[in-house]
Order: sequence, then C-alpha cells, then structure tokens
Amino acid sequence: MKKVNAIFFFLLLFLNINIVLAENSQKIHIYDLWINEAPPTATVLVAYVVLKNNSKRLMTLNSVSCPLFSSIEIHRSIIKNDIASMERHSMLEIPSKSTIKLSPGDFHLMLFNPKIPLNTHDTPIFTFSFLDGTQIPVTATIRKRKDMTH
Amino acid sequence: MLTKLSNSKFLIPAMAFLVVLATGAGFYISLKQSQNRQERSEVSQGLFWPNPKQIKDFSSEDHNGNIFGSKQINGKWSFIFFGYTNCPDICPITMSVMVDVYRNLTTEFDDIQTIFVTVDPERDTKEKLSSYVNFFDKNFIGLNGEPENKNSLVRQIGIAYFSNKEKDNYLVDHSASIFVIDPKMRLIAKLSPPHQLEKIIDQFKNIKRFVDEKG
Repeated sequence: MKKVNAIFFFLLLFLNINIVLAENSQKIHIYDLWINEAPPTATVLVAYVVLKNNSKRLMTLNSVSCPLFSSIEIHRSIIKNDIASMERHSMLEIPSKSTIKLSPGDFHLMLFNPKIPLNTHDTPIFTFSFLDGTQIPVTATIRKRKDMTH
Repeated sequence: MLTKLSNSKFLIPAMAFLVVLATGAGFYISLKQSQNRQERSEVSQGLFWPNPKQIKDFSSEDHNGNIFGSKQINGKWSFIFFGYTNCPDICPITMSVMVDVYRNLTTEFDDIQTIFVTVDPERDTKEKLSSYVNFFDKNFIGLNGEPENKNSLVRQIGIAYFSNKEKDNYLVDHSASIFVIDPKMRLIAKLSPPHQLEKIIDQFKNIKRFVDEKG
C-alpha cells in the first residue's frame, strides 16, 4: 500500500511540474537563444534571444543565469554621434501580447567570464527568471562568426 | 545723329549677344558645379577632401610583437577600427563586416589591410589582441592604442573614448566608425555605421577612383 501511495505521489508531483511548465511556456515563449562564437580568450560573450509574451499582462524579465558564466546582464548597444556605448538594464519588460527580440547592435545578454571556451556543438542551458516567479529553462546554440551579419 | 543711329543699331544685337553669352556661361558653371556635387556625393559622405590629414611618422608594435608604423601604412589602403576585445556586441559586428570587406576587396586589390586598434590597452594584452584578430582573420593587424604616444593612430586620428575603470567588467565608449587611410598616408575617409558589406565596398571603390583621379 505504501508503495502504491509513493507511486501515486510521484505521479501527482510529475503532473504538477508539467502543468506548471506548460502554464509558464504558455505565458511566455522564449526561443532562438544563441551565443556568438568568440575567440577562446574572450572574457565577455554575447547572447541574443526572442521573448514572446502570450499572456494578458506585462511580464518582466529580471534575471538570466547559466552555470557556465559568472554573471549575465541585460544591455543595450547605442550609437550616438558616432560613439558606441552600452547601457545596462536591470530588467526587461515584455508588454502583453508582444514580442521582444534581442539582436546584434541592440538589446543583448552580456555573458561574463565563461568557465570553458564554447564551441558550436555546445548547448548550454540558461534560466530566464521573471518578476512573478516564473522560471523558464532555455537551451542555447553557438553560432559561428559568419552567421552574425546575415 | 548718324553715329548715334549706327551705334544704337549695333548696340541692341551686341547686348543680346552678351545676354546669351552670360546665360550660357552661367548655365555651364551651374552644370559643372552640379556635376562636382554629384561626384562628391557619389564618392562618399565622410570623405575628408580637399584637405585630408597627413598621417605623421609613428612606430608601434603589432599583435605579434613586430614593429608596425608609417612604413607598414605607406603604399596601402588601410581600414582601421578602434575598439576593445571585451566589447561583445558592436566590435564583433563591425569586425565581422570588416572580414567580409577585406576578403571581398583582396580578390580585386592587393594593397588592402585591416587594422584593429584597442582603446583598452590595460586589459587587451598582446596575447589577447593576437587571439582576437586571428579569430576574425589571420591577416588582420592588432595594435595597442598607445594613448600616451602623441603620434599613435588614436591621437593622430583624434579618437574619443571613455571608460569608468573603477567598476569590474568596465565598458568603454568608443568610436563606431571605420577610418580609411590611403596609400599616401592621408586620412581619407570616415565610414559611419551602420556598416554593411555592399555599402562599404561601393564607398571604397568610389573613394579609390576619386583619389586616383585627384592624385
């Protein structure tokens, strides 16, 4: 009887996790996460991604993490009067029913101090955390340099 | 009376002739000016002409530890970008375009070189610079910005950059343009972003044609 209860418990737990994940993925869809291949000595890498908010309310991304990097920050590149600079954003708001694309020369994720040099066969997993507690794991791909400008 | 009549007889056609001549000359000058304007605009925005700055003698060290100075600039078309290796977005985007530009132009011209000058010499060691430029193209040249050297390319071209080094992982604000020095060591053009392969190729060919004609 104890065995049956335990199986039942784990089944419920599994079902619950799936429901939570399904709800989260319905609320916000995160896709096309890619890291630009960089020289092996690079101490800062960059990632781009698309975030689609399917929900009826504003979703606020407040952190992104990946065990392969010491920290990850949201930045935006700006070119004004010929000077290129970056501004840090502590969070990123994705309005209801809209899509935000982080792309070269605009919003991006700065990945500090990679613990290993990344190659095109690597698939690191990032966790996107939102202000309402939603956490979504997303697998990144590594793109070769030539793909960056196309 | 007769003289007066004969004078007035010739005066009108003479005046008419002068008016036609002046109109024609005006039209011709205006046409030439318009052609010159069109020629200038076709060449490029950002062209430093008619008084391009002459690059003075300088001596630096490249990413391999070899001397790199005026001798290495003289006789070549140099594309120069000022950035830093910790820059994750704008610099790799620009360098990627410069790779495509370099590979495209070197199929047609043999006097092209691409130089990356770091504006973050404290962090961009020779090894890091070497790894960085080689990652993009083995023929690219990496130079230390040498801000303390008054004849360095940073100082001669007048590159502005700023960083707050008190922070960890500090960022550097820097010029986003690509600068072009001609084989006579003249700072000939500034190519402003957004950088696109086709645009730069067209700009360069127009600039080269223009400079070859003007001498």
